[in-house]
Amino acid sequence: MFAPVQSAFAAALLDPERPVPAGLSTHTAAPLNKRFAAYRNNVVVGLVNALGTRFPATQRIVGEEFFRAMARVFVTAHPPRSPLLMTYGDDFPDFIAGFPPTAEMPYLADVARLEAARTRAYHAADAAPLAPEEIACLKSDSLQGLRFLLHPSAQVVRSAHPIVTLWAMNSGERELGPVEDWRPEDALIARPRLEVEVRALPVGGAAFIVQLLAGQTLEEAATAALADAGDFDLARNLAGLIGAGLITGFAIEEPRKELP
Amino acid sequence: MNVRKQITAATLASSLAAALAMAAAPAVAAPKPMRADMDKCYGIALKADNDCAAGPGTTCAGTARVDYQGNSWKYVAKGTCTQIPTPKGPGSLTQKA
Repeated sequence: MFAPVQSAFAAALLDPERPVPAGLSTHTAAPLNKRFAAYRNNVVVGLVNALGTRFPATQRIVGEEFFRAMARVFVTAHPPRSPLLMTYGDDFPDFIAGFPPTAEMPYLADVARLEAARTRAYHAADAAPLAPEEIACLKSDSLQGLRFLLHPSAQVVRSAHPIVTLWAMNSGERELGPVEDWRPEDALIARPRLEVEVRALPVGGAAFIVQLLAGQTLEEAATAALADAGDFDLARNLAGLIGAGLITGFAIEEPRKELP
Repeated sequence: MNVRKQITAATLASSLAAALAMAAAPAVAAPKPMRADMDKCYGIALKADNDCAAGPGTTCAGTARVDYQGNSWKYVAKGTCTQIPTPKGPGSLTQKA
């Protein structure tokens, strides 16, 4: 059987304590364990590099040495489950949240969540935004059954920390400096056209968009947003979505006719 | 008593109208559309920052493996490409070796 050989080989790759897998041979004079060690190192370094590429702001916040050490622990505990490296690290933010050495940086995992969402947005499908004229054509008596379809790349990351500011300062979008106003920020991440865009959402905006993404009607989403934040401004939030080009379609549900 | 704010049909209609007015106003800047006044400029993108094309075997955007790779390009304002200096020489409107 080949499967046990493969799993023994894979396990030995990620655990230097394990012996070189049985059945390997070399055509050169170099000792087998040295050659396997090179391969072992390449696997881990390659995955650590992949995480560094996907989470540059997170790496900048903690420094390269800390980041690579943390990534190494993650890589050995969470090897890729897919051959697509672009998806590797989706669970890295959760790992950071539970990684004791980062306990003093409770915002770090949320910044990583923002960065993971950026990569997903980058690789999400394209979709053409609705023109404002098309939205203006909606009849006012059909609005209660209206569902907006949002761009496939749109994602929301909510945080108790100013993650948009922290990310912007550590990604070169904004000058690095002290965060004057340390308050919660919810991020909207999307790629309506060529560039991935990150915006801080107004109050209630995250709850609103999360409901829209879940397929709720405009009315249901607005009600949920009002429950989340009493001063939720529906017009301003809708304007933000339309202006960002994130409304890509709509569906109207006919109100159910009451039987006489 | 649970006081829950309700959204009426009138609120939906007025909010949508207001939103369209706001979105149309220049104060809410819409993302730049793809414009004809952009050039594809080769040899200026930092690694993983190219807009497209980085040689055979790659999946295009964001795949350039080295800074200023000659066969990866980035959108720049029209006419500025060949004036962009890099450590490997100016940008080019055609692929660089």
